[in-house]
Amino acid sequence: MPLLMPTNREPDVSAPLKPAVFYILLALAEGPTHGYAAMQAVREQSSGRVPIGTASFYRHLDRLIEDGLVVEAARPADDDPRRGAYYRLTARGLRALAAERTRLARMVAAIDALKPARRGPA
Amino acid sequence: MNRLYERCHTALLRAYPASMRSRFETGMRYAFSQDLDHARARGAAAVLRFCVTTMFTTLWFAMGARASRAHGNATNSGDPGMRRFITIDWRDAVRSLRATPLVTTVAVLSLALGIGANTALFSILNSLTLKSLPVRDPQQLALLKGGWTNPVWEQIRARDRDLAAGAFAWSSEEFDLSSGGQRDVIDGMWASGRMFDVLGVRAILGRTLSESDDVRGGGKDGPVAVISYGFWQRRYGGEASALGKTITIQRVPITIVGITGPDFFGPIVGRTFDIAIPIGVEPLMRGAESWLDGRSTWWLDIMIRLRPGQTPLQASEALRGWQPAIRQATMPDFRPQDQADYLQDPLTFESAASGRSWLRTRYERPLKTILIVVGLVLLIACANIANLLLARAVARRHELSVRLALGASRFRLARQLFAESVLLSSLGAVCGLLFARWGSRLLVRQLATPDNAVYLDLSLDWRVLGFTIAVAGVTAILFGLAPAFGISGVAPHEAIKEQSRGVVSDRRLGLRNGLVVLQIALSLTLVVAAGLFARTFLSLNGRSGGFDRDRVLIVNVDVQQSAAGPKERLDLYERLAESAAAVPGAAHAAVSFTSPLAGSGWNTDVVVPDNSTLEGRKRWTWVNAVSPGWFATYGVGLASGRDFDRRDRPGAPLVAVVNRTFAQRFLGEGDPIGREFSTQEPRTTIRYVVVGLVEDAVYRSLRSEMTPTMYIPFAQWDQPSPIVSIGVRAERGAPTNLVRDVADALGRTDPKAVFSFRSLSDQVAGTLAQERLGANLSTFFGALALLLAALGLYGVTSYGINRRRAEIGIRMALGAKGSDVVRLVLGRVALLVAMGIAAGAAMSLWASQFVEALLYGLEPRDPSTFIAAALVLAAVGLLAGGFPAWRATRIDPSTVLREG
Repeated sequence: MPLLMPTNREPDVSAPLKPAVFYILLALAEGPTHGYAAMQAVREQSSGRVPIGTASFYRHLDRLIEDGLVVEAARPADDDPRRGAYYRLTARGLRALAAERTRLARMVAAIDALKPARRGPA
Repeated sequence: MNRLYERCHTALLRAYPASMRSRFETGMRYAFSQDLDHARARGAAAVLRFCVTTMFTTLWFAMGARASRAHGNATNSGDPGMRRFITIDWRDAVRSLRATPLVTTVAVLSLALGIGANTALFSILNSLTLKSLPVRDPQQLALLKGGWTNPVWEQIRARDRDLAAGAFAWSSEEFDLSSGGQRDVIDGMWASGRMFDVLGVRAILGRTLSESDDVRGGGKDGPVAVISYGFWQRRYGGEASALGKTITIQRVPITIVGITGPDFFGPIVGRTFDIAIPIGVEPLMRGAESWLDGRSTWWLDIMIRLRPGQTPLQASEALRGWQPAIRQATMPDFRPQDQADYLQDPLTFESAASGRSWLRTRYERPLKTILIVVGLVLLIACANIANLLLARAVARRHELSVRLALGASRFRLARQLFAESVLLSSLGAVCGLLFARWGSRLLVRQLATPDNAVYLDLSLDWRVLGFTIAVAGVTAILFGLAPAFGISGVAPHEAIKEQSRGVVSDRRLGLRNGLVVLQIALSLTLVVAAGLFARTFLSLNGRSGGFDRDRVLIVNVDVQQSAAGPKERLDLYERLAESAAAVPGAAHAAVSFTSPLAGSGWNTDVVVPDNSTLEGRKRWTWVNAVSPGWFATYGVGLASGRDFDRRDRPGAPLVAVVNRTFAQRFLGEGDPIGREFSTQEPRTTIRYVVVGLVEDAVYRSLRSEMTPTMYIPFAQWDQPSPIVSIGVRAERGAPTNLVRDVADALGRTDPKAVFSFRSLSDQVAGTLAQERLGANLSTFFGALALLLAALGLYGVTSYGINRRRAEIGIRMALGAKGSDVVRLVLGRVALLVAMGIAAGAAMSLWASQFVEALLYGLEPRDPSTFIAAALVLAAVGLLAGGFPAWRATRIDPSTVLREG
């Protein structure tokens, strides 16, 4: 199953993002940041449920760059050079995140449409 | 250390494709160092876990990234390289391993032996030294160093809640359930009331012991006991009705009140217990001879549970505050000068998370030595498999070069070969685990001696599994890299110019030769080790010890249940010995405090003149109380004077027989008969007259020098113990033939006495268990290493001959004789063997220093062992190289010339 869609098409709303990818996009949506800060944000925002490591983080980042969802950003002038490059979302990346939001919202709406008694234990 | 981890990580990053590395390397390194700092804050285990997983995932993802790029189309991210890596390569690997079943079988078998032996030893070491006790929070346990008397324990018990979170004492003892006749022994444990409570061990049925059970004479429920799960299953078939049953031990009925869980084996690693009885019940069994008030009876071990945050050091300091009071209140019957030592000797706690173990102190070092030996065997096996795979890779040059010509990348081919190695080592590891489960049980059974049953929890845990996986991974890398490098010389055009004829030399043969030299060197080291250990065992086993080991049957007699009280015991023992001597086929019988190498001992100091140079231990002598005829029974030669006889009764002058070492050390020159000497007892000295001189005989250990020994008449022994041994000498044949008749005779004399039988030669063999085990194992693995090295040499020689077939054929066509061909081949073999022996000798010389403590009667650099080992290897080398050489002489020149 493809991780993300080929570059020449717009994000497909029906294909869910992997949790790690979703949280990476979420972390970068707040503004340009360096790799390790994004990793930490993924860990924190997922409350540790996505225990991402360096290798898997950069694998996802590699894909996201190739798919045009993320690009390198300019580094702040006074930043510690050991941290490596900064990254930010592209317009396409923002759209992918928005599409994921829409998808999730539709799913939540579908569940909410059920009669209260059938939603499972309260 | 951080720098090292970071360097490893940076090195691993090279596995990424260059494009990815240049883009992300800085960020990855930064993230690694940050995460490493976080892990360090959580402790060493977290650092290790973090590093292992990160290194592994880095390599894994890097290979995945490479694979997806190698399959072209990196932009098409819909092609997960990882999955292709997994599916396609494994299928190919399985196919090619099945194509050469012989090579695969040999490789898997030698790996299984190598990995299995390593795993077996590791799992023993694991349960002996690494595993924690199966109790609540074992890291909080601390042991009071030394053995202790009950008065000391009572002092500590009174303060246990001030000292730490709790304290308990225990002692192991064998209990005899029989009511006379042959012994029926179970492993008992005296336990203080809070033991289970402090350890945090619950009963799975009933209850554990409590403080109210541990009062002198038994608590409100009378004498009670907790039994272990194993004993419950064995004796009571796991029936719940076992609760409330009584079990009679030394005439005391004891009620079973609880059963512990299957994983609890007590606080001693290497043993298990059947029944735990409160210490307070002890006086009921031993009566007037109770140890509870014995101030010189050191029979208890004491352990505490530290409070959260408390260290053993802090607990020791707390205890030191009470030390003067504790020591004062429990002063043993020591001589005044020793009493001062007793007061000052500091009380110290040490961590006891992994329990206490005599087995550990005795076997940890030998087991680690053997672990190194089997590690070497595994290395040799790896070298062998590397050679096999290399040969196969070279044989597949044609196939590989076709693949290259069709556009496969070299990385892909190398990965393909590496996948085969991983598959082989995984197969080996699985078989090895099975082999290890069987082998470790077998080994543990070898560790046991008749006196010491050994119980170790050998269940698989994450450490053993992790060890096996790590070993398998390392072996896969070790033997997998060689063929992967081997194909780097394959060129696409080679497929076309197959079957060229000429004088060949290529560097893969160089690598193979290097591996063979390594194998021979390692084997030599192992053969030297085997030689040293085997000679140690043989010289110890061959040591006569000064007694006649093949003719004597030893009967250990326990009269605690007999009607005879302590006063009548001397008489009872003499009657027992007489009845044993009257058995048909028995030449002599005699009773003594202990028998040679039985493990128990009695020693005392001899009073020496003030100007004597003999210090401390040099004044020691062993003591044995023996009845008339004892020397003849055991075959200890009487040099001069007389044996004990009927005159040496209580009330008569105290006499002694001494051995030669005793006479030389304490009595000086001249005839010792009629001389007098004194021994230093706690409050007094005792004067003896020497009436006989006997030859030296070992007392407790075959390894030690001959030690001074004095024998006193059994009848003059003032405190005869309830357990003694009777030696029965057979007129002819094996002494064990007498067992039945002697048992009958003794049973008729006192039906309540309890016996166990063992021949003296078994008793001697029991003390050499460790040496025998070392000799057997090192010989086995030495032979295995030799076999592997021979296979390796054979393989490389015949491979070389195959490659040079054409050359040899031409030489023979030009007039070379068979002997020339043999010389050609064997010259090369001799060179390899000589290089291997030289390297191996250097390695053995260096390694020999580590085994010095385990040897007896020879130097660790014993030249004859080294020379013999070198000769063995040379002979094996000649055999392994000679067979292919002989086959080379059968090459028919005309066939070779017609080929290709």
